Formats: sequence, structure tokens, C-alpha cells
Amino acid sequence: MNTVTKTSAARAVAASKIYGSGDAEVRALDSINVEFASGMFTAIMGPSGSGKSTLLHVLAGLDPVTSGEVFIGEIELSTLKDKELTLVRRDRLGFVFQSFNLIPTLNALENMTLPLSLGGRKVDPAWQDEVVKAVGLGDRLGHRPNELSGGQQQRVAVARALLSKPEIVFADEPTGNLDSRSSSEVLSFMRAAVDNFGQTIVMVTHDAGAAAYADRVVFLADGRIEAELMNPTSATVLDRMKQLGG
Amino acid sequence: MWIVTLKGLLGHKLRFMLTGLAVVLGVAFMAGTLVLTDTIQVIFDDLVASVNDGTDAFVRSNEVVDSAFGEERNRVSAALLPQVRAVQGVAQAEGDLQFYAQVVDAKGEAIGNPGRGAASFGFIWNPGRLNAYRLVAGNSPSAAGEVVIDRGTAKKGNLRVGSKVKVLSQSAPQDFKVAGIVTFGEADSPAGASVSLFTSEEAQRLSGALGQYDGISVSAVDGVSQEQMVRRIDAALSDPKVEVISGATLTKENQDEFTQQLSFFSTALLAFALISLFVGSFIIFNTFSIIVAQRTREIGLMRAIGASRSQIVKSVIAEAALVGILASAVGLGIGILLAAGLKALLAGLGIDIPAGATQVLPRTIIVCLGVGTFVTIAASVLPSRKASRVSPMQALRSTGSDPMKQLGRRSTIGVVITAVGVGSLLYGLFGNVENPTLFVGIGALVVFLGVAALGPVIARPVSRVLAAPLPKLKGMVGVLARENAVRNPRRTASTAAALMIGVALVGFITIFAASIKNSIATAVDSAFTADFVVAAKGGGPPVLSGFSPDLAQKIKEVPGVGASSGLRFAGAELQGKGVFIIASDPATSTELFDVQPESGDFKQLGIDDVAVSSDRMKKEGWVLGQRISAKFPKGASTLKITAVFGLGQQAGLSDYFISLAGYDAHYTQQLDSQVYAKVADDANPRVVGREIQKILKEYPTAELLDQEQFKATRSGQVDQILNLIYALLALAVVIALIGIANTLGLSIVERTNELGLLRAVGMTRRQLRSAIRWESVIIALLGTALGLVIAVFFGWALVTALRDQGLSGFVAPIDRLAVIVVLAGFAGVIAAILPARRAARLNVLDAISQE
Ligand SMILES: Nc1ncnc2c1ncn2[C@@H]1O[C@H](COP(=O)(O)OP(=O)(O)OP(=O)(O)O)[C@@H](O)[C@H]1O
Ligand SMILES: [Mg+2]
Repeated sequence: MNTVTKTSAARAVAASKIYGSGDAEVRALDSINVEFASGMFTAIMGPSGSGKSTLLHVLAGLDPVTSGEVFIGEIELSTLKDKELTLVRRDRLGFVFQSFNLIPTLNALENMTLPLSLGGRKVDPAWQDEVVKAVGLGDRLGHRPNELSGGQQQRVAVARALLSKPEIVFADEPTGNLDSRSSSEVLSFMRAAVDNFGQTIVMVTHDAGAAAYADRVVFLADGRIEAELMNPTSATVLDRMKQLGG
Repeated sequence: MWIVTLKGLLGHKLRFMLTGLAVVLGVAFMAGTLVLTDTIQVIFDDLVASVNDGTDAFVRSNEVVDSAFGEERNRVSAALLPQVRAVQGVAQAEGDLQFYAQVVDAKGEAIGNPGRGAASFGFIWNPGRLNAYRLVAGNSPSAAGEVVIDRGTAKKGNLRVGSKVKVLSQSAPQDFKVAGIVTFGEADSPAGASVSLFTSEEAQRLSGALGQYDGISVSAVDGVSQEQMVRRIDAALSDPKVEVISGATLTKENQDEFTQQLSFFSTALLAFALISLFVGSFIIFNTFSIIVAQRTREIGLMRAIGASRSQIVKSVIAEAALVGILASAVGLGIGILLAAGLKALLAGLGIDIPAGATQVLPRTIIVCLGVGTFVTIAASVLPSRKASRVSPMQALRSTGSDPMKQLGRRSTIGVVITAVGVGSLLYGLFGNVENPTLFVGIGALVVFLGVAALGPVIARPVSRVLAAPLPKLKGMVGVLARENAVRNPRRTASTAAALMIGVALVGFITIFAASIKNSIATAVDSAFTADFVVAAKGGGPPVLSGFSPDLAQKIKEVPGVGASSGLRFAGAELQGKGVFIIASDPATSTELFDVQPESGDFKQLGIDDVAVSSDRMKKEGWVLGQRISAKFPKGASTLKITAVFGLGQQAGLSDYFISLAGYDAHYTQQLDSQVYAKVADDANPRVVGREIQKILKEYPTAELLDQEQFKATRSGQVDQILNLIYALLALAVVIALIGIANTLGLSIVERTNELGLLRAVGMTRRQLRSAIRWESVIIALLGTALGLVIAVFFGWALVTALRDQGLSGFVAPIDRLAVIVVLAGFAGVIAAILPARRAARLNVLDAISQE
């Protein structure tokens, strides 16, 4: 257990997200309160439709909340306009999606540096070397996504998310489409980023094994936090899932 | 299958509206042209018919020359009139004259502009049935010094019965009193022409036709048919140089002559309409190709569940046919409305067309619907065949990007097609063929197709070169723009090809015009040794207008004028061939233009002498002193070659010079086109110029120009035509831009995911718009680059082919071509506006989660 009070990298305060209205109303997030501490690797789990992706999207400023507040650091996102939100995403956040993470016309290196070059920022070469080394794609940097395996593509996506040294990286089932070997490549890489560089990561996953890489697991159901688990292992996660599912 | 087709159409309304627009615009242009020219034709046919309404027979000379300036016919002796009147069954017979006469109003301004559109004519006032005009004020002209004018002229010049006017004609300008005002039927004037009517004697005097008429109009008594009348008069007259035709024949001849002039105009417009449609066909081809690519899965599925290849082909073609028919119908409707707009455009150019019912002939409907639909279907044939080659397996695979296979074969095919086009074009230009326009036209078309076929092969490297500076300028946005522009070379190439055609034609005509202007400047520099030239304001046509020789005479008398001469342009047949001749005063000509006399004595050209350029002498194998046969309006004669000179048609002059005296003897109307003057050595050119200006007060249609101004006005005339052609080509360019917008729009749909991702990782809307804009600019510049290469080739080929027609050399005006490039870049920006806005509006989440 961490004894040092960590500053929160992102938090949601009484955040609700409602899709549709009337009979068709769906409460994807139901007045949720959650906080993600800096330097911590958090996994979000829960049944399909429980609101995991929605939570990630509202935290990342991709989707506005219906009510409540969402903070990245001390910035409240609902006050921002599209342009400012975009800049927050570009400069302070990293994002890894389940699939289609890379721009097909750009090579691996260009994809990694995309947010930086969009912001007109220079890459710190030492940092880049470190990330590239960690991602293990040194000889593949000039290749386009269609010349990379699924695992390699996801590692490039994670590298992209890390390269701009964001305050927080959101990953939505980053290993959902990968076999177990590729999955562990990607997950180890994320774990290493947290351990070695103090990166903050929030990851959605369905896989207990993946969740075991995290420092903390948050269980969602029906748009609410159902439970939490610190320092998880596959076994404790499965155990808790069984309890909740039952 | 029909249901699939219909669903396809309804599912993509916007897409098909854009595609259809390409056809709509081209068809509208075509329909507008046909409707307009048909309308004008009917108006004019009616006009001619009513002018000749009372004429049952017409007696005229059978000596006629058909030259570049139209038909010029000899006059007949007035002595024929009593003979004709004596023929049994003749109710009335009157002499006719038609000549240049232009009314000058109180402010000293000439009414009407023979240089453009409706002319200014003088006629004999004839009584009774042989008069097509109706007096609405005053009386018929009954004495010398009296003129009757049409109400249009009266309105324009603010003239009333009793007003004093000056009349310009081939006689010296002279004062007249307005005796009466007439209308033409209900219209103020016939087809907007300015008309003045005189007594027979006055008309003969003004047109230099003393004792002569153009012809004699005859009205028969009731019961005598036109044919009988013609036969009787023919029998009564013994002059072998006179012929008699019926009123119906006369009307038909006049109408046909007009039809011919009009068809020149309508053919030109139709050519531009077809160019627009040709460009449009690229857009259609492109849209259907993209649609087929996007529907690969769907098509694969249909194949998997049992649709045959031919059913797939049919479904795509049916879709195209439906789009084609709908778009053509809309185009036809717009074209009919457009005819009114075109009429206004012509009026804006000074060509007034009188009111008349709009003519929508069945032919127009059939041609427009047929051509529009045909073009659409033809453009969809290749995409439909591609669709049919989709295998059922592809239903299972995701829509992969289209790999660039068979590039080798494609280059070969492209090169072969281009070579065939170039060959046909060069053969047409240099091969001495019967019908060069056909070979040149088809050659140009095939060149376009060949380069378009090569497009996908060259699109990638050329675009990369064009976009090379972008990453430096715009960073990642520039990289993305460049990569997107080259990611699908086929699509980029066929989109650019549409613009290529427009740019090629614009560039070609720009180069051609620059070469012409350069030739004019060279010709003026090398041959123009006069100090001044008096020319028609705005440059009138050389027939039926010009200046009275009195002007040249007055200029000659100005103190300080050393040498001067009127200059006339004429057509004649020499040794059976139609030629262009310049007539001038041989005594002074060599001082006014340096034609580089080589042998013989240019100064001593007599009435039946001709000076011939050495170039022409060589070509024809003539020798000095030889006699050649000639046919002029006043009859056949023999000319003796008494001088040979160096600067002929190749230098922008003429291969033939005759004396003014010779012109007098061989032509009926005596009008100078220009007057040249050289200031005596001891005189001050400024003072002389001022004196000449004073004389010109009497000649409001003339202006005084020095060498530089003359060059400038001639260039200005070329520019005027150039601008007109630009305007006509504008539609083709606009259609090409719609094509770029269309392609970008379709590409954006395909790239929705990617755009969402870019936005998610921090691309701002502005950056996204910028990327799409630059992609568009690259496509536009690719089309422009290809177009300009073709333009330079076309320009070079035509200029070289016309070398002995007075084009001195190929000139590529870098500044203007640079402007084309810049404009094309801007056009790319404009084409990107809508697609970019649409892309920027995409909801990031929706875009990411889109499958
Ligand atoms: N755009 C939308 N419109 C309407 N309802 C939506 C929308 N997006 C999500 N929902 C609904 O909100 C709820 C939460 O969806 P969310 O995508 O967050 O689930 P999830 O936990 O990520 O599920 P999964 O594990 O399947 O990815 C679901 O009931 C879903 O149907
Ligand atoms: Mg989800």
C-alpha cells in the first residue's frame, strides 16, 4: 500500500453520463466518484456495458459528462472548448485504443511522435531512445502499420502515448485483440513505464491476467464503482470477479 | 438487382448530386447553346422573310467572289431598271443598294458599332410593297440631304424628325436632316442593326454606285407566280452577267448565309460544352470507381449469394444510367433558362439579339439527354467491370487498400495511347491533310486519355516532388497532406486529370495568344515604319465598315505629313485560290511599311499589277513579270506580277499587295480599314498628331495610334478573345474543382476512423482542415503540372504548324503561366472548403468507433 499521499492525475466527481432520453435513456455513468493517483497503474474492469469505455472517454475529454465534474490535474474539462480540449489531449494525455491506433500513412516513428509534432514540439532524443528501446522496435521504426504485427502496432501506440510524457495515459482494452504473447509484451511495457518513469496509466480490460499488471483494480457495474482491489494478482482479481458476478 | 441500384442511389444522395452536377453543368451549357442559337436562327429567319416579303424576283450580277470576308458581288447597271419594269406582270421594280452608312448624333458619337454585332447599313428608300419599314414619324426621304432612320437609332442618339445628323459613309461625312423615323414591323430596328434610308440618287452617291444598284427587287402582279416572274424577266434581259432569282431563293440564300455564320458560333460553344462534359466524365468515372471500391464487401456478398458478373456490371451501369438521365434532364432545364442568361451575356458583349420566342426543338432535348446519359454510362463502364471482378471471397476480407498492381502494363498502355494521340495531332498539323481539325481534335482528346491512363504511374512521384516543401512548411500536417495525396495514386490521378484538361486548354490558349501577340509585336516592329496609324476604335471588321477615303485625303493634306496611305483588306481569287490581299498607295507604301522590296518596282504598281511576297513566289513557282488570273467582285481579270517583296504573310502581313487604284477598279465598296501616316523629317510629330486628331473629330469611329499604341490595341483585341475563351473554359475548370471536392469528400468518409484518431491524439480542427486543404492543393497542382506540360506541347505544335501563317515563334508567357499555377493552388483551397469543414465537424468518438 502506498503511504505517500499521491496527487491525483485525474478524477471524476459525481460524474454522470446519460445517453438518449425518455424510455431509451441509458445511464452509462451514474454519479460516479473516482480518483486516479499519479504514478499509479490502474485497471478498470466490469461487465460489458458497465460504462468502462465511457468513463475513459469522459476522463480524456472525448465525451462531455451530462452532469458532475471531470478533472485532469486541476483542470475541469467541462469548462473547456473543443480547441482547448484538443490541446489538453495533445499535450497532457495519452490514449491507446483497442484497435486502429495508428495512422496508416505514417511509419512507426512518425506515429509515435504524432502528438508532439502536431504540437510543433521537439522530441527529447534521450527520452525517445529510451522509449524506443523499451518498446523494442528499434529496427522497425521506418515501417508502416500494415507492415507491423498487431502486438507491434499496440506497442507503437503505447510508445506514442508515452513519448509526450503525458500526465496520464488512458488505454481501452489495449490487448483486447492480441494473443497472450503479444499481450504480455504490451503489458510489461506499460508496467515498466510506470515503474521506471513514474507514468500514470488507466487501463480498461476484461482480462484478469492483464489486470494483475496494475497497482489497483476498480470494478464497475451499471455505471457505478462496485469494488476496488489494491496490488492485484490474477487469482485475487478472478476471485473478486466471481463474487461480483454472483 | 434494380432494388439494389435504387437503394444505392438513395443511400448516397449527396454523393450523387455532386456527381450529377458534373453532368448537369455540361448538359446545361450544351442545351443553352442549342436553345440560344435556335432562337436566334428563328428570329433571323423571320427577319429575312419579312424583309423580302414583297420581293417576288431579284435581278443581280452573277459575278461573285467568295472570300474570307464573305460573299462580294458585283453591282448591276441602273439601265436595267426600265427594262425590268417593262416586263409583263411586273407590278413594281426598284433598285436596291446596301452600303456602309453610320449616323453620328449631336454629341458627335457614332451610333451602333459595326465592330461588334449588328451593323450600320444604308439603304435606298423604296415605296410600296418593296419597303420593309413602316414610317412612325415624319416622311419618306424625298430630296438630297434627307435621311430616314430606324427608331432604335433615333432613341440611342436622342434624335427626332427634323434633327440634324452627320452620316458617315464612303463619301466624306455629310450633314443630313432626319426626314422620318421607321420601325421594322413592331421592332425598333431589324435585329438591332442601325439603319438609314435615302433616296435612290443620294444612296448611289453615298455608296459610290452612280448609275448602279446591288440588284433590282421585283414585285409581281397578282396571279403571276415567283417562278413565272423569274422566267419572264430572264427572257427579257440579254446581259450574260446578270441573273434572276425568285424571292424565295433570295430569302433562302440570306437565311443560309446567316445559318452558316451562326453555326460557326454555335459549333464553338458546343465544343466548349463537350469539353465540360469530357471533364465531367472523369468525375463520374472517379465517383463510380470509389463507390465500387467502398462497396467491395457488399459486392462480394452479392456474388457469394449468387449474383452473376453481368448482373453486377448491369447494376453499376443502371445506376450510372439513372444518374445520367436525371442529371441530363436537370441540365436541359437549366440550359433552357441559361439561354436567357447567354443572351444577356452576348448583349453585354455588344451583340444585341432582338426578342423572340425561346426555341426548344425536339433535337435539343434528344441530343442533350442522349449525350449526357451516354457520357455518364461510358464513364462508368470501367468501374463496373472492376466491380464484376470482385470475388465472393472479398466479402469476407476487409476492404484493403487498392494495391497498385499491373503498373507496368498500365505505363505501356498509357505511353501507347499518348503516342497515338501525339501522332494524330502532329499528322493533323503537319501532314497536309484534308480535315486537319478532325485529326488535331481527336489527337488532343487521345493525348488527354493517354496522360490520364499514365496518371496513376506518375501521380506518386510527381505529387511527392510538388509536396516536397510541405513538411518543412506545415510540419506533421504537411506530411499527412502529402501522404494522403499519394496514398491512392489512381484516385489522385483521375481527380487531377479532370483539372489537367481544363488547365491544358487554358494554358494552351494562353501560350497561343502570347505567341500571336508576340508575332504582332514583331511584325509591327519590323514592318511598321509609319509614325501614326488611324484605325477603327475597338477594331472593326474589314467588311461593310471603315473610313471614307476622304479621311486619308485630309490626312495627306495635313502640313507636316510626309507620306500617307489608306490601307484596305480584301479577299479575291488568284489562280483559282482564295487569298487575302492588302491594297495601299504604292507610291508611299514603302515609306510606311518596310515590306523589304526585293525586285521589280513596288512604287509603280498599276491597276492590274500585283506585288507578291518572295515566299509565295517560291511556293507557287511564279516569276517576276508573270501574269496570273484573278477574280474580283467586279469580274475576272489578269494581274501582272511587277514586284516581289520580302515580308509577307509570315511576317503578319499579306503575300499580295495591290494599288488603291487597282482596288477601285476591282471592288464595289471603297472604304479604308486603316490610314497610315509618316511625319516629314522637318516636322514635329506632336504637332502633326494634334492636327490629325482635329480631323478625327469628324470621324468618331476612328482613333489615332502611334506604333506602341497600335501594338497595344492589337494585343488588346487578342486579349479580348482570350478572355472570352477563358470564360468558356471556366466551366470545365469549375467541374474539375467539383471533382476534387467530390473525391476529397469520398476519401474522408473512408478515413473517418483515422480522422477520429488524429483528433483524439490532439490534432486541432484547424490542423485537420489545413491537412485536407493541402491535400487538395497537391491534387490541384498535380493536375496543373500535367496540364501545363500538355499545354506547352499543344502550343508549340500549333504555333509551329502556323509558322507560315504569320506566327513568328513560340512564346511561353512565364508570368501568365505562373498565375495559372497560383490560381490552381487557390482553386484547390476552395475545393477543399466543404470536405474540410465536414471532416472537422466529425464527432471524435463516433469517428473512432465507426466500423
Ligand atoms: N453513443 C452512445 N449512445 C447510446 N448509448 C451508448 C453510447 N455509448 C455507450 N452507450 C451505452 O452506455 C453503456 C456503457 O457503454 P460502454 O461502452 O461504456 O461500456 P463498456 O463497459 O465499455 O462495455 P464493453 O466492455 O463492451 O466495451 C452501454 O449500455 C452502452 O450501450
Ligand atoms: Mg468498452
